[in-house]
Amino acid sequence: MVRSHTSISNVVALIFFLVLLIIPSVQSTTATTIDVWPKPRLLRWAPLHQLSLLSPSFTIASPYDHPHLSSAVSRYLTLIKTEHHLPSSVNNPLTATSSPPPPPSPPLQSLHIFIHRLHAPLHHGVNESYTLHVPNDRPTANLTAETPWGAMRGLETFSQLVWGRPSRVPVGVYVWDDPIFPHRGLLLDTSRNYYGVGDIMRTIYAMSANKMNVFHWHITDSPSFPLNLPSEPGLAAKGSYGDDMQYSPDDVKKIVEFGLDHGVRVIPEIDSPGHTGSWAEAYPEIVTCANMFWWPAESKWEDRLAAEPGTGQLNPLNPKTYQVFKNVISDVVKMFPEPFFHAGADEVTPGCWKTDPTIQSFLSNGGSLSQVLEKFVNETFPYIVSLHRTVIYWEDVLLDGVVKVDSSILDPKYTILQTWNNGPNNTKKIVDAGYRAIVSSADYYYLDCGHGGFLGNDSQYDQLVGSDTVSNGGSWCAPFKTWQTIYNYDITYGLSEEKATLVLGGEVALWSEQADPTVLDSRLWPRASAMAEALWSGNRDETGKKRYAEATDRLNEWRHRMVSRGIGAEPIQPLWCVRNPGMCNAVHASI
Amino acid sequence: MPHGSVIPAIILIFSLFILQLCIASVASAGGGGNGINVWPKPRIMSWTTQPRANLLSPSFAISSPKHFYLSSAANRYLKLIKTEHHQPLVTPSLINITTSSSSALHTLFITVESLLTPLQHGVNETYTLSIPADASIANLTAHTVWGAMRGLETFSQLVWGKPNLLVASGLYVWDSPLFAHRGLMVDTSRNYYGVDDILRTIKTMSFNKMNVFHWHITDSHSFPLVLPSEPDLAAKGSYGHDMQYSPDDVKKIVEFGLTHGVRVLPEIDSPGHTGSWAEAYPEIVTCANKFWWPAESNWTNRLASEPGTGHLNPLNPKTYKILKNVINDIVNLFPEAFYHAGADEIIPGCWKADSTIQSFLSNGGTLSQLLEKFVGSTLPYIVFFNRTVVYWEDVLLDDNVNVRPSFLPKEHTILQTWNNGPNNTKRIVDAGYRAIVSSSEFYYLDCGHGDFLGNDSQYDQLQPSSSANNGGSWCGPFKTWQTIYDYDITYGLSEEEAKMVIGGEVALWSEQADPKVLDVRLWPRTSAMAETLWSGNRDEETGIKRYAQATDRLNEWRYRMVSRGVGAEPIQPLWCLRNPGMCNTAH
Repeated sequence: MVRSHTSISNVVALIFFLVLLIIPSVQSTTATTIDVWPKPRLLRWAPLHQLSLLSPSFTIASPYDHPHLSSAVSRYLTLIKTEHHLPSSVNNPLTATSSPPPPPSPPLQSLHIFIHRLHAPLHHGVNESYTLHVPNDRPTANLTAETPWGAMRGLETFSQLVWGRPSRVPVGVYVWDDPIFPHRGLLLDTSRNYYGVGDIMRTIYAMSANKMNVFHWHITDSPSFPLNLPSEPGLAAKGSYGDDMQYSPDDVKKIVEFGLDHGVRVIPEIDSPGHTGSWAEAYPEIVTCANMFWWPAESKWEDRLAAEPGTGQLNPLNPKTYQVFKNVISDVVKMFPEPFFHAGADEVTPGCWKTDPTIQSFLSNGGSLSQVLEKFVNETFPYIVSLHRTVIYWEDVLLDGVVKVDSSILDPKYTILQTWNNGPNNTKKIVDAGYRAIVSSADYYYLDCGHGGFLGNDSQYDQLVGSDTVSNGGSWCAPFKTWQTIYNYDITYGLSEEKATLVLGGEVALWSEQADPTVLDSRLWPRASAMAEALWSGNRDETGKKRYAEATDRLNEWRHRMVSRGIGAEPIQPLWCVRNPGMCNAVHASI
Repeated sequence: MPHGSVIPAIILIFSLFILQLCIASVASAGGGGNGINVWPKPRIMSWTTQPRANLLSPSFAISSPKHFYLSSAANRYLKLIKTEHHQPLVTPSLINITTSSSSALHTLFITVESLLTPLQHGVNETYTLSIPADASIANLTAHTVWGAMRGLETFSQLVWGKPNLLVASGLYVWDSPLFAHRGLMVDTSRNYYGVDDILRTIKTMSFNKMNVFHWHITDSHSFPLVLPSEPDLAAKGSYGHDMQYSPDDVKKIVEFGLTHGVRVLPEIDSPGHTGSWAEAYPEIVTCANKFWWPAESNWTNRLASEPGTGHLNPLNPKTYKILKNVINDIVNLFPEAFYHAGADEIIPGCWKADSTIQSFLSNGGTLSQLLEKFVGSTLPYIVFFNRTVVYWEDVLLDDNVNVRPSFLPKEHTILQTWNNGPNNTKRIVDAGYRAIVSSSEFYYLDCGHGDFLGNDSQYDQLQPSSSANNGGSWCGPFKTWQTIYDYDITYGLSEEEAKMVIGGEVALWSEQADPKVLDVRLWPRTSAMAETLWSGNRDEETGIKRYAQATDRLNEWRYRMVSRGVGAEPIQPLWCLRNPGMCNTAH
């Protein structure tokens, strides 16, 4: 008995000695910080900065019967066991020492998930908080969340903690996490150019890796109508780019389910009454000014027929418009369980409606274009609400300078407005009017900008040295929005605390005039990651200062990890900067 | 090969006859209106009859004179032509299609006058291509095999269709580049690119009739090139064993270039941009591994123009021992007659960090004298290997550190300009040097995607500053294809001066580029320069810039490049191609 006691003490002493021996060398070859993107609200790593091996038989224990959670658990288990991420900062075979000595703690055997409200649906405002505890004295980690969706966020965090071959995980780690904004979205326009179902799923997958939760699918627009609707098959049959460039109901089901498996809501947008030129292929009678040259010869900009090439607006004075429209809405509502429905209503262009004789006589009898729009909204908004949907409109419906509706017909209870013009000013106008706002400021969040104009024979280019327009990148919303521009935008800038609560969140947007599958990943990532962190845990450090400086190194590392996960994110620095931390900084204060 | 020597002459005479006929009477083809597009647009492309198309025989063959590289190219194009089955987004219209298989085109007959002419600067790339209507033989005639390769590319772009292949016929093309040097620079030091990325880039260059791959191999960040005489430079200075180019890799790239008519011009940047050399030889590099902009110091006292410090020390004899080994190896690895020696961005602060240089300076020496010593010790050595030396303009035009023209013999020196747009081009040719134009305001493909520096205080604000406003990098904004297409590289020069401008190069510096974005950064913007330098950016009849009709053609060409495996970025919605003219601005 004495002997065995002695031997145990010896082992303990030996372990203690090994720990002392090991810690410095472990620290010299590994990052002493833990990089999780987006940065959690609270992450503590006990000062010894210990690592454990992940047991080869590591499992995730999730005793819940929940199809989406189960799918996520098995996905993350595979990722965790196979990723073997090597942080770029230690991925230098020239300087890396032989594999680090065995870590001091026992291998981690399992991660146990605890959920309080298993049946909370994935809706706006669902609780996504979680706590993650990876102890240094037991082989079991715990992930506790209010909902399955919070658990998915925690699983993502856990997956980012694991690295190396063999897999290691920091222990003595405690994370508490909860998003600042409930709506963290990405808009993709699949009308101007088509994206395959695989592209959309990869995007949703990348969103979940960044803890984003809303895929805003701008499905239809004037250039094409790719959505195959059971009640209105002619719209896609005639209005899509072709049979191979459509989304079938099965495709939609697959995308929606994939979203649920990844904690990402899929909000459909059927833009109307503007941006509907493609509807005219099937129903020319309900679309005004379809298939006309967008900016008639010899006419002023105010008399254009559309904001850009691709003309056509639904005619609110034709009863058939509503017959087709309601079929569309009722199909879309069946296909998308999401309680938000995006109804568009941006850029209603006067010249287009004015080409129609019935609208002309309505106007000559004293009617106004705003009344025409009000008629459209009055016919459609209550119908969408009756299907238990909250309606999102682009801000134009209320804030357009010429064609807009009276706020009395848009009940704030069922209406959310998405802003894209005038930066913080329009956000303020929206919340001051009592509406909830989603921020997609073109000055900050439009990912397509700055790659040149797409118009043909544009005379502004006929010069040697760039004009003002050309000199900022040649598109209306240029320049290119850098990740820093996106990261630093404060979407509640200038609002009182009270009003700020009406800002649900933000969405980066990829309009597809100059984007298609070949550039999808590099346009989205890592810039969408910048917004993802700013909306999840903010863009400032504990002292209230913006933290883009330390974010650079973390984002760079995260970009490399996303690339190894199959996402073609663009590089933000030479590899040299990752290998030489701090050496690529700009600030030359004393070090 | 059953080539009678008489046949080329007959074809030439016949061609000239047809040429005169065409110019006189038939509208030029390939304007985009009928869907027959060749990029870059040929100098002369005319229908000898009404626009028509012929079947390409299933047994179609290319008859090529036996030549190591041309035969390889002919095989490659035969395969491409038979398997591509390009489907134009706009179906070629106004075309009579001959469906009689008896008259299907079954042979493209290549005639080359001078088979032995090597691929070098100024080589004749002229070709004529004649595809008679309803005839079974087409003729491609060129002075050199390199011109024949250009003609093969043109021919490949004239074929489309599925399942039956069609070829434009009743067509005559005479083509010859306006500028001899049509290049693309890729920086493989700041980030690494695999050999396949480089090969794909060279292949795409040949699609665009470009002929110089300027390989900025080394810089301060990494030294990826394994040199037999100096193996430690890569062993210690590269990003890792999996991020190096072996001599075999280089051979493969050079040979691939030759089979595609693309010269591979190596750049070993020095004496600046050599921080990576210090991993193997710290003693020959000044200020290596220092923070690039010392604390509390002015911009003028920085140690490098960007993170990654280090200059070769001209006062250390060992510098030349190493550098000469490097040069020896490079000329052995690269047959190309141009050698790019860099010499950009000599930063005073870096040399001043060295004690021997400090005493040289305190004894009345100047930094420019140091650079003269370096150039005087290296340029003659490079010239000795029958190489023409290309330097960045800085070596002559830098405000602080430059050399006198006497150190740069004009017959052996070419200067590449990157600052001040047309102004520096003029300064170079006025000084009597040949110029390569890579103006950063027009031709730098990496610009406008944000700055790469960490903790940069200009971003700490809600509203963009003027700097962030143009895309946040020093050379922002992004250079659109229109900006590139419209640049006139001989702007403001007399006809005589303009002859000194041998061509241009777009450049992809890799601070924010790596294999993930290589294709989208390069294409189709590089194609814009390729056409401007090949056949110009103006309408041949009116002299007006032709970017307007180029939009539709470039869009179509972009889709064709994508289907050939190049990840080029889109320039318009598909809708614009499907609705020709509807996306125009002019009202």
